[in-house]
Amino acid sequence: MQSPSTRRNQELGLLLLAFILASGALALVTIALRPKNYDLMKPLPLVLGVVVAYGIAHFMLRRFARSSDPLVLPIAALLNGLGLAAIYRLEGTRDDIPVGIAGTQLLWAVLGLACFVATLLLIRDYKEIARYKYIFGFAGVGLLLLPVTPLGQTVNGARLWIGFGGFQFQPGELAKVCLVVFFAAFLAERKELLAIASRKIANFHVPDLKHFGPLLVMWGLSLAVMFFEKDLGSSLLFFSVFLVMIYVATARFIYMALGATLFAVGAYFGYQTFQHVQDRVTVWLHALDTRYVNDESYQLAQSLFAFATGGLFGTGFAQGRPDLIPAAHTDFVFSVLGEELGLLGSSAVVLAFMLLVARGLKIAFNARDDFGQLLAAGLTVILGVQTVIILGGVTRLMPLTGITLPFMSYGGSSMIANFILIALLVRISHQEAAEPAPAHTAEILIGGRT
Amino acid sequence: MPTIVLDLLKYVFLAVLYIFMARAVRAIYLELKPERSPAAARRAPQPKPQQRRSKRSPRSVKVIEGEGIKGKTFSLSDELLVGRADSCQIVVSDSYASQVHARLFTKGDQVMVEDMGSTNGTYLNRQKVTAPVEAFKGDRVKIGKTVLELRR
Repeated sequence: MQSPSTRRNQELGLLLLAFILASGALALVTIALRPKNYDLMKPLPLVLGVVVAYGIAHFMLRRFARSSDPLVLPIAALLNGLGLAAIYRLEGTRDDIPVGIAGTQLLWAVLGLACFVATLLLIRDYKEIARYKYIFGFAGVGLLLLPVTPLGQTVNGARLWIGFGGFQFQPGELAKVCLVVFFAAFLAERKELLAIASRKIANFHVPDLKHFGPLLVMWGLSLAVMFFEKDLGSSLLFFSVFLVMIYVATARFIYMALGATLFAVGAYFGYQTFQHVQDRVTVWLHALDTRYVNDESYQLAQSLFAFATGGLFGTGFAQGRPDLIPAAHTDFVFSVLGEELGLLGSSAVVLAFMLLVARGLKIAFNARDDFGQLLAAGLTVILGVQTVIILGGVTRLMPLTGITLPFMSYGGSSMIANFILIALLVRISHQEAAEPAPAHTAEILIGGRT
Repeated sequence: MPTIVLDLLKYVFLAVLYIFMARAVRAIYLELKPERSPAAARRAPQPKPQQRRSKRSPRSVKVIEGEGIKGKTFSLSDELLVGRADSCQIVVSDSYASQVHARLFTKGDQVMVEDMGSTNGTYLNRQKVTAPVEAFKGDRVKIGKTVLELRR
């Protein structure tokens, strides 16, 4: 184990590199947009904002979570910086991307970092939040279903937003963090019970039927999200996160098998019932079909063209035409980088997400108690699954379901929720490094049982 | 600014991007690298202060840590099986232990500890037991969360 100061210095080194990359990207965009008479003062407020906000967050980590993981904050800074540059590059190129939107995004990032610091200061011991699990559970379900109420607003066919006084928010983003806290506390209490295989069906040891209850409830909730909010991405996200958490808790493969079956049933049912699900699948299968390419699959096709144009090294900042992709600044921000930074640039983004997930799983692995382990695993799985859903969608690996790319897509709700999420990970990693290990549990492996 | 410079700057940017990745991976590597490699540790001669007392081999096992059976003492007559199965002499209710996890047996004057192919391993004084190994008075055997101490 490295000393706390080594870890913080590593973090500072990586943060400085992330600052160089963010400001470099913003400067290159500025130069490339008007090569003859560029004004490097224009993106300066954005650069300063990023440096000051992440600098303060780093300082707070030095004070309040010295032993925490050194990679989480710099990776978030890198992704945030690249996203900001992409949004800055798109400003004013499309009607739905007005000038000044990069500034708004920076404001969201600053607000997100404020929530990051506030979470660190508020939750000094992550074990304590397990006590409020039912509050988190009800808050999560409430937030999730809030858009169904009259407060809700329908945007692009999905009823995901609530609005009051011109201010819009996506409560589902916060709901996912609340629900993971609840799942973690709930499963930590019942893991032994859920893992007992008391029945034997065709040579398989199967837990008692009543223990499948929580899985069915989650399935119902995911279906409700799909039916009432027409949001396939969130529905898939919630269900898969719960499934992974119950697997981490019990190491029983039967839950995965049953969950996959339930998912298949739900997906088939959704496909039969909803026109928009069928549309998504059609677009996915026939993205470049001349019947759809100018209409239904226009967005996906443009995204594919963007990646193709990018090639290995990309066109260079502001040299491509990513503005042809509808929603380029939100769901399709990855395609923008794919075009302008090429395969190398977009691979680096994927690598950054992989490192973030790897760190999260390591934090989960090292956690001293069941709750911490499940909480870290669940939070990490949210980040990972969300990334896979949207990256798979924009590259036509799987049917596209609109969901934000963490730290990169334009949008406040997602930014704030993801910063709270990594604040919890950082808090758990600090506690596992700072508190002395209990004498006899150090070598116990996770989940292994005969 | 001419396009060629912009193009060059693009390559510089991509290079810096991968320097970031390399440094992040290096930080992970430095964290994983043990201060002394496990192979070297295994080769190094283990100090065995108990060796001198080999004649005073243990006669019983006391449960130091373990749900439900903490504080119990078992006498080491011939063979003791430890595990979750009811057929074991020492039955542990420990989700990290295997059904038949480990075996303690006497060989002449010696007491030996053997791992019975458990999932999470058996540890003698924090050393993983791979083959039957002699145990001495005061040694601790860890099975899942359960800790046994060898006594006189």
